[in-house]
Amino acid sequence: MSWRAEAVAVWAFALRNLQMASRNVFLIFEILFWPVLGVLMIGLMTSFLRLTPESTAFLLIGQITMSTVHVCQLDVAYSVLYDVWSKSIKHGFLAPIGVHHLTLGSWLVGMLRGLVVFALAAALGRWTFGFHPLQPGVLALATFLAGCFLTAWVVSVSVCALIMLLGARAETAAWACVNFILVLAGIYYPIDVLPGPVAAVAMAIPLTYFLDAYRAHFGFPSSFTAPVATGFALSAAYAALSHWALWAAVRHARRSGLLLKMSE
Amino acid sequence: MLAIDARDVVKTFRSGVFRRRATAALSGVSLAVPRGAIFGVLGPNGAGKTTLLSILATLLIPDGGQVTVLGHDVRREATLIRRRLNMASGNASFLWNQRPAEILAFYGRLYGLSGRALRRRVDDLLELCELTAYRRVAYNALSTGFKQRLALAKSLVNDPELLFLDEPTLGLDPDVAARLRGRIADLRRERGMTIVLTTHYMREAEQLCDEIAFIKGGRVLARGTAGELKRQIRIGEVIAFRLDPPAAPWLGEAAGVLRCVTHDGRIECTVDEAEKRLPELLRRLHDEGAVVRDVQVREPELEEVFVELAR
Repeated sequence: MSWRAEAVAVWAFALRNLQMASRNVFLIFEILFWPVLGVLMIGLMTSFLRLTPESTAFLLIGQITMSTVHVCQLDVAYSVLYDVWSKSIKHGFLAPIGVHHLTLGSWLVGMLRGLVVFALAAALGRWTFGFHPLQPGVLALATFLAGCFLTAWVVSVSVCALIMLLGARAETAAWACVNFILVLAGIYYPIDVLPGPVAAVAMAIPLTYFLDAYRAHFGFPSSFTAPVATGFALSAAYAALSHWALWAAVRHARRSGLLLKMSE
Repeated sequence: MLAIDARDVVKTFRSGVFRRRATAALSGVSLAVPRGAIFGVLGPNGAGKTTLLSILATLLIPDGGQVTVLGHDVRREATLIRRRLNMASGNASFLWNQRPAEILAFYGRLYGLSGRALRRRVDDLLELCELTAYRRVAYNALSTGFKQRLALAKSLVNDPELLFLDEPTLGLDPDVAARLRGRIADLRRERGMTIVLTTHYMREAEQLCDEIAFIKGGRVLARGTAGELKRQIRIGEVIAFRLDPPAAPWLGEAAGVLRCVTHDGRIECTVDEAEKRLPELLRRLHDEGAVVRDVQVREPELEEVFVELAR
């Protein structure tokens, strides 16, 4: 495939997710209702507990991260789920495309929607609870967001692999997996508070390092020597691994007949 | 030159986690489809038709056998094959709130089409399948006939050399089905496309297909042109009478008569050898005092061959 054809195939999935998102009222809820509600709940709790501005920022970063990662990863999972729900999955895999076209295209839209969620939630946090998302500077924020989106990508590609392996019954993974990862990555707490073996698992999650690096700018010293580099290295390794898993799952679905079964 | 060369294709589906069950879908199917032909795959439900088509279209990986499609091996060179083929099925489905033009554009992009070329292809296909007026209607709001036409349009988006049609006229009104059959014949005539189709409608197979393979229980039981199949199966010939009075109950038990049915006021007797039996039957009808208003001798319908093979 030429580079142009590669880009066009990626754009096909991006455009389709955009079209679907623009026509689904529940997707508006995803980027408006839950993120806003989350920031309000956590923010009001910090007011009630009379937390310092640093601690408030710590918790709000966790909440905003949760919403951002959640929305971004859903878009990638949707790219497979739409086809599963509409029983049209075989048509996509009949075309000469790779799994990366599907995951990249939908990830682009996921990042766009994630950015909207972050901007909305951060603006609300700034306005109501004095949280300054740009306090660490544009580069630190961009790095943090890149880390969030990479984590979302890795999780969602793994979810897609699960769906291709187990069929529609794995669709709850699209909502459950990311929350599990977020809890482990320490969204509302440093990972030191986790029990030993769980903390060890948390250290294998890229988001742990990106949260750590971003929060360091809000007065919480970093627990790692090179968190950003570690986060990116882990993300790259997991991205490769999750794509291999998805490729293998699609191949398995072609062998077992699940690809056809999901289209009937 | 062959578009498809499949030899001893085997496919078994396994299900269950603890109690593994194995269902043999194909047990050594061999097929050769020449380029530019319309090839029919017939068989009862569960015969393995869709499994075979899916393997040939690279949607399924066979367990055994050799399959070459457009000169490439389906296991090793699937991506090369996918660029040059496409598929439409009678119960096709697409994203519920996407519109026909968007659906065609989406799949067109997956085949590398973009810009003006993509727009032109989408417009042409909408026109070809008489969908232009419905280009902005959500998929869910389309009738079955329009959904089927959209499936056919989608299958032409990459201008394939090889087209698989899995029961393309399933559930369509007769006039719509006839138009769709016309389109399929045009595709071969105008574009030299090789078409492999499955159908339950024998007249459709007889009308469209140059060659037919009959599959049952995962095996090819017979193959050839419709005429060859009729001769191969040797289910005899049909003598159709129009009588006055219109019934002769003894006909079914007469020597050489395999079965008799009354259809549209005509008595159709399938006989082992029409040349020998016709004079005998006419003589006896005369003796019984029946007046023969009309008599015709014809080959059996493909449907009768199907019934015989499916038995």
